[in-house]
Amino acid sequence: MSWKLAVVPERCSGCKICELVCSIHRFGVNNPKKSAIRVMVVYPHPIIRMPIVCRQCKVAKCMENCPTGAITTKDGVYDIDNEKCISCQQCVISCPFGAVFLHEEIETPFKCNLCNGNPRCVAACPKNALLFLPEHVLGQAQRMTSVLKYGHMKEVEYVEKGERKVLRYADIEKGKAED
Amino acid sequence: MPTSKREKRKIKGGYFWKILWVDFDRGEAKPLEFDEAFASKYIGGRGFGAKLLWDHLQKQRIDPLGPENLLVISPGPLAGLYLPASGKTSFISISPETGIYGDSSMGGSFGTELRQAGIDALAITGKARALSYLWVDNGEVKVISNEKLKGKGSLESEGIIKEDLKDEHIKIATIGPAGEHGVRFACVTSDWGRNSGRTGMGAIMGSKNLKAIAVRGSKDLPVFNLPRLQKASEASFRSLRENKNFAFWQEQGLMSVIDYVNEAGVMPTYNFREGVFEHAKKINGYEMLSKYKIGDTSCFACPMACGNVCLVKEGKYRGTVVEGPEYETACMFGPNIGVQNFAAILKANQLCDELGIDTITAGNLIGVLMEAQETGLLSEKDLEGLNLKWGEEEAILETVQRIAHRKGIGNILAEGSFGVIKQWPQLKPIISQVKGLEQSAYDARIAISMALGYATSDIGAHHARAWTIAKELEMGMDWPLEKKADLVIYHQTLRPLFDMLGVCRLPWIELGFDEHQYAEFYSAVTGIETTLNELLQRSKDLYDLTRAINMKFGISRKDDYPPERVFNLPMTEGPHAGKILKREDYEAILDIYYQKRGWTQDGQVDEKKMASFHDSLVTT
Repeated sequence: MSWKLAVVPERCSGCKICELVCSIHRFGVNNPKKSAIRVMVVYPHPIIRMPIVCRQCKVAKCMENCPTGAITTKDGVYDIDNEKCISCQQCVISCPFGAVFLHEEIETPFKCNLCNGNPRCVAACPKNALLFLPEHVLGQAQRMTSVLKYGHMKEVEYVEKGERKVLRYADIEKGKAED
Repeated sequence: MPTSKREKRKIKGGYFWKILWVDFDRGEAKPLEFDEAFASKYIGGRGFGAKLLWDHLQKQRIDPLGPENLLVISPGPLAGLYLPASGKTSFISISPETGIYGDSSMGGSFGTELRQAGIDALAITGKARALSYLWVDNGEVKVISNEKLKGKGSLESEGIIKEDLKDEHIKIATIGPAGEHGVRFACVTSDWGRNSGRTGMGAIMGSKNLKAIAVRGSKDLPVFNLPRLQKASEASFRSLRENKNFAFWQEQGLMSVIDYVNEAGVMPTYNFREGVFEHAKKINGYEMLSKYKIGDTSCFACPMACGNVCLVKEGKYRGTVVEGPEYETACMFGPNIGVQNFAAILKANQLCDELGIDTITAGNLIGVLMEAQETGLLSEKDLEGLNLKWGEEEAILETVQRIAHRKGIGNILAEGSFGVIKQWPQLKPIISQVKGLEQSAYDARIAISMALGYATSDIGAHHARAWTIAKELEMGMDWPLEKKADLVIYHQTLRPLFDMLGVCRLPWIELGFDEHQYAEFYSAVTGIETTLNELLQRSKDLYDLTRAINMKFGISRKDDYPPERVFNLPMTEGPHAGKILKREDYEAILDIYYQKRGWTQDGQVDEKKMASFHDSLVTT
């Protein structure tokens, strides 16, 4: 079974603790600029805090575009082989998410390798914005969200016997329903 | 730096040993190296700032808004590290608001970035020829002038500079129009809403033609024993997350304090006249949660995420987005000026952030005008026709605008309490300030330790140095004065220590985080086994140093009194109705306080102590 690191941007507060633990685990230094996860903060239009991290794509653009075959995959996790890598940075620009990173003191690009199945950032996130989930669970949260969104709809227009009518739903708000 | 020197050092981490000294007048930026004694004695943050200011003052007289003033920006040896809430940095200078020592710490991640650029502190003096910003790129410095930034808001400027430098990840501290116009309580803003709010640090930047400081850093932060730090930090993060109030705190942040303060009857209400606001429920944390909050934000490495992002979804302020409000802003722009519309508080907060104005001082001074309007101390003509009645939102927002642009009445307010008193001496008894700094949002009438805290704070009436009100209310009023003085001194020692280390005090205050952990962090980072008591001693010495700086400006016992109101104006409502402080009690506690500090009864630091600060420890 393959596991995925999923991000819930709505929960992220931008504290960068994920970056810190990543750099410590990965490179043994306290340096958020050497982490394989990066929190992007955009403000004020729109307001988004979102950790960018490798999604371990099954059709991996980074691997496809690597001219030296330095990107390898094992159990669905991609990593860069520093021996083969020539640091042409093709993977950095081919990743659609910008999840392959560079640092001036490190010769080759680096990316998330899921810490051998135990991603440190997930446990460290104080907002539970990072989840480590079996692949088949992915999307369930979004499905649930759309169901809830539908439930929140207050009005639906419909036509009955040629007459336009409005059906009003109860305004089920999060929290209130749980009381 | 020669390796031999590095190897000889006993302090093995925590510092880059570099202060970047920028002198606009001489057109130079040079790295200064400091020695171990400097690092050990002054630690960092406000410690470095105070010492550099002290040395600077030996050479010349300083007019706060003159080019000779020195602005120090210093995070501290723990800033940017993997430990709870390490995202603080201090701005230190001679304050244009008070004319004495001033500092204000800022959250966000500006300090982390500065450290990653390989700089322990940035010291800025002189005046740039044209409106410019400083670009510190991994330690390399450039002064870039950009006329496009003139008159632009703080947040807007952040965007312009990011575009200018083509990098979304850089960190920027900016000032708004208020700073450019020398408003004496202008603030410095970073990360779209984190402020170095008090004592007018934005005006200092403005006086130097310095619109912003942009920083990019990518260096490893020096830590002697990273596994040890990691171990201590993991336990610390765990203890915070297991705290029963953790989730509540993330949800409300400092807005949770509103209910507490109102129930305790110490809410600044109608210009500090009352202690209970009848409409508090309309502006509390629950109101924010139910209608306005759209997200959490936190400073660097902080699990508590006390920042609230709020959006006004309907009504005349629709579309207003702001990181805030924080408790102080909500009170000073709420109960203190009679506002009961949360959306209006958000609007005022956003406006102050963009214009670059300290919300505490602005709310305080507007409260003064409103009371003066009500009691006839100021005429309609004085107020230029502004309808400054309690809760009048439009007049409030207009006044804020006039302050930032120094228009009409705003030009008087922009001078701070001292300027207002000079213009209208009749307002002196109704202005709540100490040493020229306007009181922040906790009433002090019923808690003598809080009054002492405000009165003896080295920057003026700000709660950051000693917030003892909760403890005093909990212990009861009959607690002996001795103990209350001890409490104030403990606060004034521990809290500034956080500012020296570069960490936030809120984990300790709000979630009871054990302060002894900071000694463990410090030991792990520097490789010097240090106890909390040893660190506290350095912080205590630093309090003597900031006092010594203030003595150069003539500060003595006469300046160590709380705002007049606490002695002569009883509240009419709430649990403390009818209470005021007795003057003789205050004199007594002040005597005790000086004695415990080892100061004279006139509040002076002795010669021997002063001499100990004359060690020269920074070299070019």
